[in-house]
Amino acid sequence: MKIIAAFEKTKELSYTSHLDVQRTLQRAFRRASLPLAFSKGFNPHPKLSFATALATGYTSSGEWIEVEFSEPVTPEQFLERANAAMPNGMRFVDAFVADDGFTTLSKLLVAAKYLITLHTEAPVTQEALKAAVDAIMGSDEVIVEKKTKSGVKPANIRPEILEAEAVSASDRTAVVAVVGTLTAAGGLRAETFARALFERLALVGRFTAHRTALCFDCAERLPRL
Amino acid sequence: MHSEGTNLLNSFTADVLLSRVEKPARYIGGEWNMERKEAYDFRFALCFPDVYEIGMSHLGSRILYRVLNDMDGVYCERCFAPWTDMEQALRDFNEPLFTLETKSPLKDFDIVGFSLLYEMCYTNVLTMLDLSGIPFRAADRDESYPLIVAGGPCTVNPEPIAEIMDVILLGDGEELEPELVDCVRTAKREGVSKRELLERLSKIEGVYVPSFYEPVYENGRYERMERKNDFAPEHPRRRVVRDLDAAKYIGRQLVPHMQIVHDRVAVEVMRGCTRGCRFCQAGYIYRPVRERTKETLLSQTRELVECTGYDEVSLLSLSTGDYSELHELLPRIIDDMASQKVSVSLPSLRIDSLLKDDLEKMQTVRKGGLTFAPEAGTQRMRDVINKNVTEEDLLRAVTDAFTAGWCGVKLYFMIGLPTETDEDIVGIAELARKVSNAFYRLPKDKRGSGFRVTVSVSTFVPKPWTAFQWCAQDRQEEIVRKQQLLKAALKGVRGAELHCHPSVLSVLEAVFSRGDRRLSSVLIDAYRLGCRFDSWAEHFKPDAWTEAFERNGLTMDEYAHREREVGEPLPWETVDALVTESYLKREWAKAQLARTTKDCRQGCNGCFGEHCEDYCRV
Repeated sequence: MKIIAAFEKTKELSYTSHLDVQRTLQRAFRRASLPLAFSKGFNPHPKLSFATALATGYTSSGEWIEVEFSEPVTPEQFLERANAAMPNGMRFVDAFVADDGFTTLSKLLVAAKYLITLHTEAPVTQEALKAAVDAIMGSDEVIVEKKTKSGVKPANIRPEILEAEAVSASDRTAVVAVVGTLTAAGGLRAETFARALFERLALVGRFTAHRTALCFDCAERLPRL
Repeated sequence: MHSEGTNLLNSFTADVLLSRVEKPARYIGGEWNMERKEAYDFRFALCFPDVYEIGMSHLGSRILYRVLNDMDGVYCERCFAPWTDMEQALRDFNEPLFTLETKSPLKDFDIVGFSLLYEMCYTNVLTMLDLSGIPFRAADRDESYPLIVAGGPCTVNPEPIAEIMDVILLGDGEELEPELVDCVRTAKREGVSKRELLERLSKIEGVYVPSFYEPVYENGRYERMERKNDFAPEHPRRRVVRDLDAAKYIGRQLVPHMQIVHDRVAVEVMRGCTRGCRFCQAGYIYRPVRERTKETLLSQTRELVECTGYDEVSLLSLSTGDYSELHELLPRIIDDMASQKVSVSLPSLRIDSLLKDDLEKMQTVRKGGLTFAPEAGTQRMRDVINKNVTEEDLLRAVTDAFTAGWCGVKLYFMIGLPTETDEDIVGIAELARKVSNAFYRLPKDKRGSGFRVTVSVSTFVPKPWTAFQWCAQDRQEEIVRKQQLLKAALKGVRGAELHCHPSVLSVLEAVFSRGDRRLSSVLIDAYRLGCRFDSWAEHFKPDAWTEAFERNGLTMDEYAHREREVGEPLPWETVDALVTESYLKREWAKAQLARTTKDCRQGCNGCFGEHCEDYCRV
């Protein structure tokens, strides 16, 4: 049987990588004595997969995983036992049993929502922030340098941006809400959007990103766009 | 309740620092099983002068973390050397180095204790003190600073760090560290001076207070040690935990978020080794051998797997194949763990152990790499170093392994050993060739594919308290010549791959292993000249080291490449490591005749002299 579940990742653990999170979950499930199902073969490993990875440094309200068990586990049991074994900074917030024939989360994934906070080196006003966001949304092309395997290349990220909204700006902190495409093949990265925004604002600084939701194309009880 | 804590790193600054470094997970703490305490009146910063993933793999630190945190009112926190990117970030923001548990600066602690496992981490100790605003020299620190302490295997020659440390601990820490804490705690309560505190500490067995001893040099060489008072022991003695089975172990093992070097459950089956390999410092300084019972090990393994969620268990010791109940223990642990898909590994197998059945057992769960350490290429050379292993032993062991399905083997060797000739170097290649042939001689359907025999070669470093403590290290040019000779000799050996460790690092290691107290100044100068993380090739700065030695009127050559006369004063002999000089002399004499000494499980060789019966139950 397969459980589909979402966990949040908060500040304390935002600096762990996707690989770290994979290990952390496997070990938490073992500590929780949940009956993990293992792959066959020479190096059996638990059948656990993610809808997508979360970049190191980001926080999230809902990262979705699917995990197979060799014996029945109810969502309530799963939440209670898994959460008792999770380190501070990671906690399951939702779980349900997958229907038979459920494909995979990564195939159903279509988009992600972010809150991006810019920490700018000079003050930024609400008007300036709104103008910058509008400028991005109003143009057909938003060219950002993107790191690829063959070096840094200019790329148009505009098609990946579905929605963007200036949330707040005060002194040196500006917050925007962004919805971007995200599938197994790739999609909008909060980091590239933040860079485009810094450029429009003609400011420098650093940013933090919080993924508020992953969105799926599916009739089940997963979040949708 | 501790009232300070005003200096805690705030979360905004932490964010800024962490966003600037390559591996932020090194600095966040909060791991599963981390100690969290509210009420405490004594703070111990357990420091490891290397990066997190190395320091967290150190078993001794894990044991001390448990031992200290089990003390009422004591909070032991961890701190690791910041990688160069974090060091720069801390300097840029003028922030002190902080502990992982509460993000406190080291200056707020009562004791700052360093685990010293290898000499090449000494400059990192200085980085950690520097980033904490703590003066390097013990003489420059008054009561307002934490007590700076060092322990770990390196302290069997405490002299190179003697001017930096207030107190140096010798030997096992399980009992010694609580005694240290109790003594410092009482002294703090009573408000005694640092001088008085050091006097009290010097009376604890296993404590060396370097400032109570002053070295005398003649003609540029160490001559003798003068004791500056009569209460400090003439020869502070290494501390030994007599009943290992009853000693505290790691309890709830920390589970790091990021991958560390030894990322698995660690079970220490025994301490010490009875083999008596003459080059091996660990073999001498962890004597006598002490075992845990198999019942204790089984229950520790179960508890550790349960509280960590790890899927791998390693049975640790210097030579796990020698554990007297191994063949009863191993099948039981493997059966116990198999149902949970937990694999069991032995890090150090002896070639002559009866391997076959155990190998097959281990394979039912998961297959790890196979490593053997013949150490030398010819029987004569192996007899010199007392590595009592024969070619037949090795070939039988690898054939067993190849038949059981393994198709790769790693062989460890040293070059630059005392009395070594070119014949011994070529012998390494010959041994690799025979291992390769042993594989290809098997019928095709009985062997795997993609065969590899990895020949890993390090440079011999003469160490204090070994039979080779008087020997000169080969000069670099000679080592390079021998490496090339070996490379040529390995041509045509099917599946062979040669890995040589850079010999230039071994020179510095040799210097600090057998150095005297003058090296404290060299160390501080080298740090100021930018030396950090010297064991990492990308950071090692040979020119800066040369300059640091020159500034102090010393040469590396004198320490590394000069043969000491047997009987000449040696700087580490102020401490008593229990192994006697006369035993080491006997061993050195036998080595030169290529005569072996039997395993001390087969009869006492008298290594502790008059103390044999007090300490050793073998």
